[in-house]
Amino acid sequence: MNAVNLALRLTLLEILLRPIGNWFLQPIFLGIAALGVALPRQIRWLPLWIALFVLAALRVLLNWPMADNHAYLLCYWCLAVSLALVSRDPPLCLALNGRLLIGWAFAFATLWKVLSPDYLDGRFFRVTLLTDQRLAGFVQLVGGLTPDVLESLREVLTQHVDGQAFTVLTTPAEPTRFLWLAHGMTWWTVILEGAIAVAFLWFVNQGISKVRDVLLITFCVTTYAVTPVEGFGWLLIAMGVAQCDPARRKTRLGYLAVFGLILFYREVPWVEWLSTRSLEVTSPPW
Amino acid sequence: MKTAGEILRQEACFMAEPPGRARWFWYLPSVLLLIVAGNQLRLVATASLSPWWGGGFGMFSTTDAWATRHLHIFALRPGVRRELDIPPALRKKVEQVLVLPSDAQLRTLAYEFADTPTPDAGPLEAIELQVWATHFDPETLTPSSTPIRFLTVRMGEP
Repeated sequence: MNAVNLALRLTLLEILLRPIGNWFLQPIFLGIAALGVALPRQIRWLPLWIALFVLAALRVLLNWPMADNHAYLLCYWCLAVSLALVSRDPPLCLALNGRLLIGWAFAFATLWKVLSPDYLDGRFFRVTLLTDQRLAGFVQLVGGLTPDVLESLREVLTQHVDGQAFTVLTTPAEPTRFLWLAHGMTWWTVILEGAIAVAFLWFVNQGISKVRDVLLITFCVTTYAVTPVEGFGWLLIAMGVAQCDPARRKTRLGYLAVFGLILFYREVPWVEWLSTRSLEVTSPPW
Repeated sequence: MKTAGEILRQEACFMAEPPGRARWFWYLPSVLLLIVAGNQLRLVATASLSPWWGGGFGMFSTTDAWATRHLHIFALRPGVRRELDIPPALRKKVEQVLVLPSDAQLRTLAYEFADTPTPDAGPLEAIELQVWATHFDPETLTPSSTPIRFLTVRMGEP
């Protein structure tokens, strides 16, 4: 399968696997995506992609300002696909847009992390790891927090405070391992995202651009193991496939494998299993 | 019979270009992304938009999300200032205001609360809205909050 068809199919699969939109947009999104998947010969049918672009744009506008990054990126990507299909060189047009959209998205993600007053000092991950219930298993497994300590820290962080707290709060100490984890995630993320931005916006196949696929695949493998935003990951994979050099079959296979891996991350609660098992091992049997 | 796709392709003749060469319209998605992201930066700086939202890819960069912001709403009657509960039906609108507490959004929300019954006598003079953002101490993570937008909407104002 050529890169364009594969990228388009992965985009439609992403819409099917991670339904988006409100009560009336979602069925239309799903119907159009299902049509595209069910009729492989119509995968490059221009009205299908224009319809998806219009729906994605509507989703952003109707939900403004609450639409997430995924909604915006899907909108730009569907526009890019539509433009590629009316161009005389769809593979080149789609590859250019895949590269630029990934590059700009990561450039702004990095910019925000650098500008933020509470990211580089590790506070963002310290707070998020403690307060996001979906990350509890990961925090206990890797951060070394027991459920009791996690709960007491979460209680302090989520209390309602207007101005300064009236009562003196005794925040339980965060274990050293947890602090290392939070700071490690902080720097790993900002450095990797910055490198991806530069690699994708750099001159094609020169310098750091040569390793752009490896960087993006590394990002998807590590980030979506922890972060439950698989739709964004799948979209990045679709865009990654579109811009991948056609001669690099193994890299494309790598992208496909990671698409499957993200599905595994979502469907199999492997972190929770490992976390429960590690608690059983470390707890006394009485 | 031509398909809709073929007709659209023909209609797009202004975009005709030789293969293998990038054309100006190929860059439209990037231009759109840059405009939206630039607007998001502006709104964060001028209207207290949460960096998480608005299409600028600021998610996962700060604790300043709508979930760490909160809103207090007061009904002002002669001699009485009473805090109002937020009904579940208005949660979505409140979330939007927390994300982007612009004067226009706060004003619209104030009118949603104008008919909220309270035990106090007298005509409703105004609705006061306060948006607060939570900050976490760099060392201990102890939370505190600071006001980011206060607005008093006099009833009867346009």
